[in-house]
Amino acid sequence: MINYDENILVVEDDVQISRFICYALKQEGFRYQAVDSAQGALEMIVLGHIDLILLDLGLPDFDGMEVIEKVREWSDIPILVISARDQDKEKAAALDIGADDFLTKPFSTTELMARIRVAIRHLRKNIGNDTNTILIKDDLKIDLSKRLVYLREVEVHMTPMEYSLLALFFKNIGKVLTTRYIIQKVWGVEYGDDTQALRTLMAGLRRKIESNPAKPQYIVTEIGVGYRMKDI
Amino acid sequence: MIYKYLTDKRKIGFKLLLMSLFILLASVVGIVFKKMGFPETNIVIVYLLTVLVYARLVDGIAIGIVASILATLAFNYFFTVPYLSLSVLDSSYVITFVIMTVTSIITSTMTSLVKKSELIAREKEAESNTLFKLTNQLTDAYDIEVIASIVVDALTDRFSTNAAILCFDEDGTPENAYVQRNKAGDQVCRNVKEKKEIKRKIENLHESYYEGDEFHDWPIYGRESILGIVRIPLEEAQKMDEIQNRLLHSMIESTALAMDRIRVSNQRIREREEAIQERYRGTLLRSISHDLRTPLAGIMGTSEMLLDMTEAIDQRYILIDNIYNDAKWLHALVENILCLTRLQEGKLVLKKQLEVVEEIVGSAVERFLLRAKGREVIVEVPEEAFSVPMDAKLIEQVLLNLLDNAHKFTSIDSEISIAVGILKTSRIALFTVKDSGSGISTLDLPHVLDQFYTGKNENSSSKSGMGLGLSICDAIIRAHDGTITIENRKDSNGLEVTFSLPLEEQIND
Repeated sequence: MINYDENILVVEDDVQISRFICYALKQEGFRYQAVDSAQGALEMIVLGHIDLILLDLGLPDFDGMEVIEKVREWSDIPILVISARDQDKEKAAALDIGADDFLTKPFSTTELMARIRVAIRHLRKNIGNDTNTILIKDDLKIDLSKRLVYLREVEVHMTPMEYSLLALFFKNIGKVLTTRYIIQKVWGVEYGDDTQALRTLMAGLRRKIESNPAKPQYIVTEIGVGYRMKDI
Repeated sequence: MIYKYLTDKRKIGFKLLLMSLFILLASVVGIVFKKMGFPETNIVIVYLLTVLVYARLVDGIAIGIVASILATLAFNYFFTVPYLSLSVLDSSYVITFVIMTVTSIITSTMTSLVKKSELIAREKEAESNTLFKLTNQLTDAYDIEVIASIVVDALTDRFSTNAAILCFDEDGTPENAYVQRNKAGDQVCRNVKEKKEIKRKIENLHESYYEGDEFHDWPIYGRESILGIVRIPLEEAQKMDEIQNRLLHSMIESTALAMDRIRVSNQRIREREEAIQERYRGTLLRSISHDLRTPLAGIMGTSEMLLDMTEAIDQRYILIDNIYNDAKWLHALVENILCLTRLQEGKLVLKKQLEVVEEIVGSAVERFLLRAKGREVIVEVPEEAFSVPMDAKLIEQVLLNLLDNAHKFTSIDSEISIAVGILKTSRIALFTVKDSGSGISTLDLPHVLDQFYTGKNENSSSKSGMGLGLSICDAIIRAHDGTITIENRKDSNGLEVTFSLPLEEQIND
């Protein structure tokens, strides 16, 4: 039973993990291929027909980070990193050089499948040249053409900064955005690394859209890495 | 020469005696000339020569002038009519006297000046030689002790004293002993009494040196702190003139430069070693955590898949569920042990940063809910967002441990809550996690923070792991200069764990 047209490449050198990921993908109705080395992965990707990559960073031949860099030179294929490395710096680095998402081992398969669905939905949207200017997540609605935000159909007043921050999350729903990326997008490239300003802005935004800022319904914190707008 | 060892008073006496001898000698020569019928001009010239030679031998312009006058008087006394008297009959001699006196004063003064400038030139040369030699030797020195020994040698050679050097350590405290050269020419270390006293006196110094009972102590000022003191024995120090003081000053400057150089390079070596060690430790922890997580991922993922394939009524379902839960528990334990190794590495480096409290609480609750399906948590934070300096990862781990603990002892439909408040007066943030479980017996309560304590109760299986979890919380909070308290709730059943974190970074001495 194939429910999806997308072809997923599993790059993982640990046989057990590779096996159960493949099994989970099959259950979910994905098409998939599995390789156990970085070289093999690159060969498969060059051959084409790959729509999404699940990438382990610790590969026997060379580092997964290099795979991300090489692939990003010519392709936008979504890359979901699955790694046993839990250093925030490495997570942020992988995301900054072009990975789309990051899962730390051990992870739950439910979580993995959810992230894959998010990535695929993005893929389809981009292919279909999504022109939708009104985006909705639960009770929250954003109108990108009018630059307006509604919570339970009531307009919420936002400062221009808060609006661009929220719009950025809506455009990248389900994706982890690193603090550096957000600062670049909202403040501009030359702004540097002032994470405190972002945190203050985030606290203000949360007070407008979340009923309890410490139990966020929309935007969750990925400590040491950045923020993510929940998709499920 | 014996002359050097005479006192000042005696020196003058000696000079005057020598002067009288010279004039007497000239007079004798004059008398001989007179007997031989030479003209008086020759006698005058003999006197002039005598004053010149005398001025050359003896230091001082004044003494030369005295000699000139004395010579004229002697000429007057022995060779003008009336003889053997200071009175003069022929007034033309007055001219002779004046010219003779002026000439001899000029020659003697010039001689003295030439001599003096020669002396200065020689001293300058010696000074620059000493400095050159010292700087040269100091350039090759590779540690502070070698520098001290070189400087003591240079000082002793130059000032002929029992000069000594006392180095200060990097905290600015004097070392236990100072270096000095003994009579046999060997360097010895002598114990310092009242180190604190010396330190205090040198630090509060307003003059260029400190006058002690035994030594004059000259501080060696480095770029950042006082590097040590040069000690010149009292007796010799008092005799030092301007030039010697200047030389001493230059020598101390060179010493300071050399010591600073050693200090900086030592510090660099130390920093490099620390960095290497830190990197090694980091790599080790990373590879351990990596190697433990990978098989856990396999076990958890595979058992999750198996659960998915098995009907819930199947007997195997519960067995697989056991595998899954054990793996999950093992995972939590691994995370905690990794935290603990980071904490107990002796020198704890907390990556403290200002963190918005609601973000940390939010993230911990989010992660907790992912692994405690079906559980509800009540979360309360102050209306106003606020930040606390902390290591976010570690505090998140503390909150996770406390929530896990609460979850373990509270039935799924009972309440768990987490609340944060600020105590403005004592400048702390208070985090409280409450459950509505059975609480802890008063017997166990004082021990729950002890490492690996898992309770004396019959229902505490070795697997509850609570002891480790809580003691890790305790270690993390204490590393943040906070406190943690555990007590049974007074308002209802259950346990209440509260920990505090200071709102501002505490400055440690």
